[in-house]
Amino acid sequence: MSGALKSQTLAIGLAAVALSLVTIAGLPAPLQAVAALGVLILLPGVALARLLPVTDPAPAALLALALGLATLTAVSLGMFYLAVWSWQACVLAMGLITVLACVARAWQDTARTRKEVAQ
Amino acid sequence: MTSTLVPTTRTDKRLKLRDVWCALAGLASLVLAVGAAASVVLPVNSDLGLVAVLPYPYWVGLLLLNVTFVVALRGDATGPASRPVMMWLLAVQVLVLFGAAAFVTDVPRGEVAFRHLGIADALGGTGAVDPNIDAYFNWPGFFALLATVLQATGLDPLTVALWAPVFNVGLWLVAVAVLMRYLTQDPRRRWLVLWIFCLGNWQDQDYLSPQAFGFFLYLVVAVLLIGPLAARPSRFRGFRPSDLAAWWRERSPSEHRPGFRVGALAAVILLVTVICASHQLTPFMLLITITVLTLSGRVWPGRLPLITAILLVLWLVYPASTYLIGHPPMEDAGLSAAVESNVAERVSGTPGHVFVVQVRVVLTVLLWLLALAGAVRDWRRRRLDIRVVLFAVSPMLLFPSQMYGGEMLIRVSLFALPFIALLASSALLPKQCSTRPSFKTAGALVLIFCLLAAMTVTGRFGNARYDVFTDNEMAAIAAAESMAPPGAAILSAAHPTPWRTGTYLEHQHRAIEDLCRQDLTAATCGPTFYNYARNNPAGGFVVLMRSTEASLVLQGDSTTNNMQEMEQWFKAQDGVELVLSNADARVYRVVP
Repeated sequence: MSGALKSQTLAIGLAAVALSLVTIAGLPAPLQAVAALGVLILLPGVALARLLPVTDPAPAALLALALGLATLTAVSLGMFYLAVWSWQACVLAMGLITVLACVARAWQDTARTRKEVAQ
Repeated sequence: MTSTLVPTTRTDKRLKLRDVWCALAGLASLVLAVGAAASVVLPVNSDLGLVAVLPYPYWVGLLLLNVTFVVALRGDATGPASRPVMMWLLAVQVLVLFGAAAFVTDVPRGEVAFRHLGIADALGGTGAVDPNIDAYFNWPGFFALLATVLQATGLDPLTVALWAPVFNVGLWLVAVAVLMRYLTQDPRRRWLVLWIFCLGNWQDQDYLSPQAFGFFLYLVVAVLLIGPLAARPSRFRGFRPSDLAAWWRERSPSEHRPGFRVGALAAVILLVTVICASHQLTPFMLLITITVLTLSGRVWPGRLPLITAILLVLWLVYPASTYLIGHPPMEDAGLSAAVESNVAERVSGTPGHVFVVQVRVVLTVLLWLLALAGAVRDWRRRRLDIRVVLFAVSPMLLFPSQMYGGEMLIRVSLFALPFIALLASSALLPKQCSTRPSFKTAGALVLIFCLLAAMTVTGRFGNARYDVFTDNEMAAIAAAESMAPPGAAILSAAHPTPWRTGTYLEHQHRAIEDLCRQDLTAATCGPTFYNYARNNPAGGFVVLMRSTEASLVLQGDSTTNNMQEMEQWFKAQDGVELVLSNADARVYRVVP
């Protein structure tokens, strides 16, 4: 179970890095929208929601959506107030947040495994 | 009712013939309704709005959909139809009710979505927030999100605005569905609440807007308050200070994992911050609800109202201070002013328009009465969840505090709707939980749903004569905005006008009805708006459209003769030149 979770964490982190790069590089029309929505909202939302121990898929999906949208709003707004906004910078920031959330999740998993071994 | 999630799995997972028929009937309803809506010819020329021009197949589709839903809801002894079928029917309902206008026209309804696109465009263009521009730039959260999403995805802004109602209602339904999983174990009741939520959603607040986004986040906060942040109150002993203190101390958290509670609290703080940054009204609704719920002993973090209040005040005194200096929050408070602004002033205009407004009021009252009956029924059976009542009632506390442009009652009814729907469902389903509704009950449900659906379509699209724009009107606005030099005034007779999408900061956009607040007669108002345009150093453009004239006439602010007189007077003035004319609009240039 732990291995499966770790591979999911790794997949989300790697997908965030890959999608950030291709979104900034630019894709044909429908793919650009899919990639951008993935890296800006979906992946950060899922990565952040996975930090909470929600087991039911419906609340987990709702939290992923809400946290993804709220985090993107906070990041975009912060950049506007600092006058450093560009959509590319937002993509990079959201990619970074996703990777950091994945690192935190991996750390949670490791701590849980150690605790289980100790018991 | 329950405060913990109980997984709902149907033991019999075989595909049933009834489920297949229900899914196919849903598809047939969708085809009928979409085909009928797509055949509507613009402009809408009825004071009743879209309801008067939608062909009969639309109504057949709506009837079939509601009958199908009742059949699916009734299901069999094990429960309602399978989850995919129920979700499919709900999706059809959303498309039929909230996407109807998008099948009629490719142009978003109303003015505000255009304006919001313009603000996002202006924000993206400047790359910084200037709170001196207007109120929107004091609560720019949603617009920052919109600017980023539109520029990163490359999506067409008008298409996004056109389908925003369907998208937003979909988001709300996801949140309400999760909320209901915490509040009731009865699957029939959960589906029924979602259905009533759609049928009662006449408020038309689901367009591309900060309030639609804020309402979604509000619902997510409600999920967290009822889920991981919920508390089990102890036995209530009385109102003596010592009893109250003991009652407060003896509360216990419903969620036993402290890490989950801390994580949920962090999520709430993020959501509250984003709500405070995005919309003026929603944080106040949230503060009241959180406070009332916490005081009832049903929320575990006792300092959450304080945290919310601090975040709200910090936003008001720092980023939003520029706007608030001239607009104190309680400036127009008072129950009588609120009633006057939200009810009395809205029930005016042509008989058709007054009928539409009355339908909206009756629909709201009908749902609240059903909710009251359901609450009494639940209370008698000792299963009334006080949190649901508090969620339904607490938004009403904000009603007398602000007129909010006469829209406070609309907002209050929207914020209460999920919980009103839950209480109303108790009045509509059999007294025994999880009992299959009888044929008689099913028949009554079909009648009630059809009535609510007809009223919602009437209420939602009742302004279609003036908030659904033709291609000619869009062409006139586009021409005026492209011809006008930077700084020029662009004047339209009234709201709504589909403008400011790409030129929010470039021109001075004004409605003639705003310039001539008291008197729209040619003799008084004509010189006012003519001089406004003429005295502008960059000149002005005056756009007179079919829809804006209809807006003034329908709402009783002017007459067709008066508008014609005003235009005749205006055309005869010095420096006024007709630069565009089509079947629905005229554009005049005013030389400075």
